[in-house]
Amino acid sequence: MCGIAGIILREPGPVGDHLARMCEAMRHRGVDSTGFALYGEPVEHLVVRLRFRDATGWEEQLETLIVGLRESGGDLVADPSLDRDPRAPDRFARLELTFPGPVRELADVLAGRGGVEIQSVGHSLEIVKDLGDARTVAERHGINKFRGTHGLGHVRLATESITAVSYGHPFWAEPFPDVAIVHNGQLTNYYKSRRLLEQDGYRFHTGNDSELIAVYLADRMQRGQTFYDALKGSVYELDGCFAYLLSTADAIGSAKDMFAIKGLVVATVEEGVAMATEEQAIRAVFPDELETVHPDPKSVFIWETGGRVLQEIV
Amino acid sequence: MSTAVRVEVDADGVERLNLELRRLAAEGAAEIVVKNPRSRHNLAVGQTAPVRILVDGSAGYYCGGLNAGAHIEVARNVGWGAGEAMAAGSLVVSGGAALGTGASMRGGALVVRGNCGPRAGVCMKGGTLIVEGSVGYAAGFMTHAGDLIVLGDAGEALGDSLWEGRIYVAGAIRSLGNDAVVVEPDDEDSARVHALLAEHAIDGRFAFKKVVAEQRLWYFTSRNAEAWLRI
Repeated sequence: MCGIAGIILREPGPVGDHLARMCEAMRHRGVDSTGFALYGEPVEHLVVRLRFRDATGWEEQLETLIVGLRESGGDLVADPSLDRDPRAPDRFARLELTFPGPVRELADVLAGRGGVEIQSVGHSLEIVKDLGDARTVAERHGINKFRGTHGLGHVRLATESITAVSYGHPFWAEPFPDVAIVHNGQLTNYYKSRRLLEQDGYRFHTGNDSELIAVYLADRMQRGQTFYDALKGSVYELDGCFAYLLSTADAIGSAKDMFAIKGLVVATVEEGVAMATEEQAIRAVFPDELETVHPDPKSVFIWETGGRVLQEIV
Repeated sequence: MSTAVRVEVDADGVERLNLELRRLAAEGAAEIVVKNPRSRHNLAVGQTAPVRILVDGSAGYYCGGLNAGAHIEVARNVGWGAGEAMAAGSLVVSGGAALGTGASMRGGALVVRGNCGPRAGVCMKGGTLIVEGSVGYAAGFMTHAGDLIVLGDAGEALGDSLWEGRIYVAGAIRSLGNDAVVVEPDDEDSARVHALLAEHAIDGRFAFKKVVAEQRLWYFTSRNAEAWLRI
């Protein structure tokens, strides 16, 4: 199962609220974990979302991490925002910071000592994921208040790997800032594809195949492929059944496997474009009758922000 | 009762709605309108009486599934598995249908005025599925019996692993699936297909291509091992 959702707006708006409601409407598709990749107003510095695995000792870990950041030439540009839910076994933090080196090195500085998971790094991307259904996660993390241009949502029924926050979607495509994925499906050539990417120096933090798709696509784009060609290539290079949405700083792309096992519905509305595993999820936000498209097997779509006209490539 | 009855789909009431439809039909309602369907799943599932049910918008998955006699009309689109396992009655969709339309249907008639997604008529075991538009990937996949009639085009892998069903396509066929073969329809075929179309007020004469099983998969022979390995 699992359910995926995406939205891209013509003007900045309540993407958090939209995605939370879409995910809530797909509650029956999984309640193990829920996550959101939200794109706010881009900033020059970096926004980092972290999770401390243990509610004891996390403050020292945060202190140590900030010292390490400063020793590496970086610094905080604002006080960290911290989640202190006393019932939770873990803690979340949102940092705004500068760092002089590549994001890969920043990841080492922040997570190198263990105990900390990086949920996302970007100039506009913020990933929030946690255990529980959409309402629980949205309430704990204030998702409904988030305003931005676009974003992804995911409700998870863990099938191929464990139920854990780090295994929840969306996945950040380390070390590429602002790239995230939500995925519904299974890859059958996961291990081979993973070894090939690891040979190129990429590292994986989970055994979840969705993390691989994000890194795979970001790597192809890094090598000069267009977003479109990377998506299209994945249909032939990744085996299995899948429907996924990949988001970048200014676009959302989708791809479906060649057997079209997994559902995906796309609706263009006045505010922008919404996509989800189920049409009723879109109608939880846009209740009127919709003009919908069900992407064909092997088809690839891209929707871009930054203009009134949203581009669609079939 | 000959007047129409209106039933609203509320936030979590699909099961209750379906029971209500059955209750109204048992009381003798001739026509029931389901208002505000909101693309919800399982609308008008499991109906047994020959009542007319109008779904006033788009429906989600499995609309009209397990139908055993109702005449259901959907004003707009349907999601996955519309008319799944229906045995009798009819389901007419004015718009398009997502994947697996008429999956495992055993009888009755299912008409889609628009296009169907992948695997239309998968595992059909009887009845008639008419698609006025086009069908996507692997239409008629593992169809055991019944008629799949397509007035538009067919996508890749048409009739893959077809068993005893018959597929008629008026438009172009992108490719045939494993063990599917195009044969020349005879006059009896043409008369029967046009009669089925006429039952659903579809006029006009169409030149169909008929697709049936080549029967290489019916019995295993070592000479055909390659075909078996492709399943």
